[in-house]
Amino acid sequence: MTTSSSSTRGVGKQAILYAILVLVLLWTLVPILWMVLSSFKPGVAQLSPTPVFFFRPTLQHYVALFTGGNLGAYFLHSVLAAGISTIIAVALGCLAGYGLARSHFRGKQHVAFWIISTRMAPIAAIVLPLFILFRYVHLLDSIPGLIVAYLTFNLPFAIWIMNAFFSDLPPSLEEAAMVDGASKFQAFYRVALPLVTPGIVTTAILCLVFSWNDYAFAATFAGPSSQTLPIAAAQLNTQTGLSWGQLTAIGTIVVLPMMVVGLAVRRYLVRGLTLGAVTGE
Amino acid sequence: MAATQTEGRGSSSNKGATGGGFSFEMKMLLPVLLVLAVLSLFPFFYIIWMSLNTVSLLNGISFDFAGLSNWTRMFTDVVVGAAWVRSVIYFVATVGLEMILGIAIALLVHELVWGKNLVLSLLLLPMFMAPVIVGLLGRFLTDSSYGLYAYVLRELGIFDRDILGTGSSAMPAVILMDVWEWTPLIVLIVLAGLASVNQYVIEAAKVDGANYLERLRHIVAPSIAGVVIVALLVRSMDAIRYFDIITVTTNGGPGNTTKIIPIRLYETAFRFFDLGYAAAIGLGMLVFSILVATVFVRILESRGLAK
Repeated sequence: MTTSSSSTRGVGKQAILYAILVLVLLWTLVPILWMVLSSFKPGVAQLSPTPVFFFRPTLQHYVALFTGGNLGAYFLHSVLAAGISTIIAVALGCLAGYGLARSHFRGKQHVAFWIISTRMAPIAAIVLPLFILFRYVHLLDSIPGLIVAYLTFNLPFAIWIMNAFFSDLPPSLEEAAMVDGASKFQAFYRVALPLVTPGIVTTAILCLVFSWNDYAFAATFAGPSSQTLPIAAAQLNTQTGLSWGQLTAIGTIVVLPMMVVGLAVRRYLVRGLTLGAVTGE
Repeated sequence: MAATQTEGRGSSSNKGATGGGFSFEMKMLLPVLLVLAVLSLFPFFYIIWMSLNTVSLLNGISFDFAGLSNWTRMFTDVVVGAAWVRSVIYFVATVGLEMILGIAIALLVHELVWGKNLVLSLLLLPMFMAPVIVGLLGRFLTDSSYGLYAYVLRELGIFDRDILGTGSSAMPAVILMDVWEWTPLIVLIVLAGLASVNQYVIEAAKVDGANYLERLRHIVAPSIAGVVIVALLVRSMDAIRYFDIITVTTNGGPGNTTKIIPIRLYETAFRFFDLGYAAAIGLGMLVFSILVATVFVRILESRGLAK
């Protein structure tokens, strides 16, 4: 399959390619590696004016975060807010995505455009009216408030992506099931839904990443009883003075799980991140 | 009986089968759209109403109808105008660099014979990071006392001042942080486009003696143009959406040099508590992003991608 490398000058060309690629990988990976490395560095090595590469690794920053920093609670808030909003978005997204893919009505294009424009609205503009509305209905500083806030971008995203995945399924499969006596709901639930499992998993993971990584909504709506990890990370820098050790530790905690789940659906990422417009691999 | 009610591959319309009520498909779609309407239309009309009022948060929430005064003020506000200019610079620089680097890196990775999957996985890592962590990590790396990158730049004699605290270097620094995080997205999308380029045409061109640049220009470029446009638009939309990195690095400073429009909006609302005026600025941003979204959907439609 690797027909693109010509055999004559292949070796030299590949050598140059890999040389450039090493530079690209350094640019990409050094910050991440440095963050993880620094999170295991003892305080003294942390405050050295010249970079320290060799040291006795310590868990002191992680321990400090969980004992003094209330990190367990923030972690739980993040999991609850991101997790529940993801589950709701994916469940509703499957229903509406299927409905949209299988129905034909006038103005369907406009409905689709409205859905997607909801996902693209600038966060700064959404936060304002929600802040006042949340004050009226007492959703400020609460996990349900964050779940609602995350649904503003996760729900339209889930509907749109699931619509794209369902549109790819030929309706003949469901029609065959209905000939065999299945109801329309059974055709959806037993036939169509299992066939779009990759789509569901991709949508769920991307919803999870978007809401887990949120800063702007939580910074505006969350308070002491709903603080999430990204907010805790941002506040480390301002409140307790500069603790780069703790900061890199919390950064590692926030970042690693999303890298793992993100790469797990790499095959379908293109589809999800281009809102269904480009089909990958 | 059930079979007679199914649609024939979308050729016949639903109307016949619906009878009195809604069809099954509409029953699945409409309740969810109602939820979405509550989540999006309600705030949308509310922000319009806010922009027509002087909104105060003192002693509860008070609205004081102000007509179009927030709007006329916005169009004559030099500070907001400057923030828009900075936004456009930030937008063009980040998205532009990400596109150029992303396409270049994708072309590179596409030519790899071995390790392609591993390389791609490693390249994608920044994309999954919370932007706020990217910003904080950027602060760590550029810290003038302890930062790794600050140290390297100082030792190489390239730059020895506080990177994020100096007017001339703060904007390039926050731009590069965004470029670091989001170039991988462009790489990923463009690679998907490159994978779909017809290999037989490439081979035929090679046989005919076309060199790499000629093949790139006459075969590859036309085939991936659509995918590149999708990448550009997806990235543009998110570039307008997010402002986390700047918030946690410079928060607009030093001396307003990185104060792009969402930062200005946020401080207008939550530091000066001028929420009505912030609403007008927010609607300005909304108009801008709807224009971009319109282009996105038009192009998808013309390419037959949005069904």
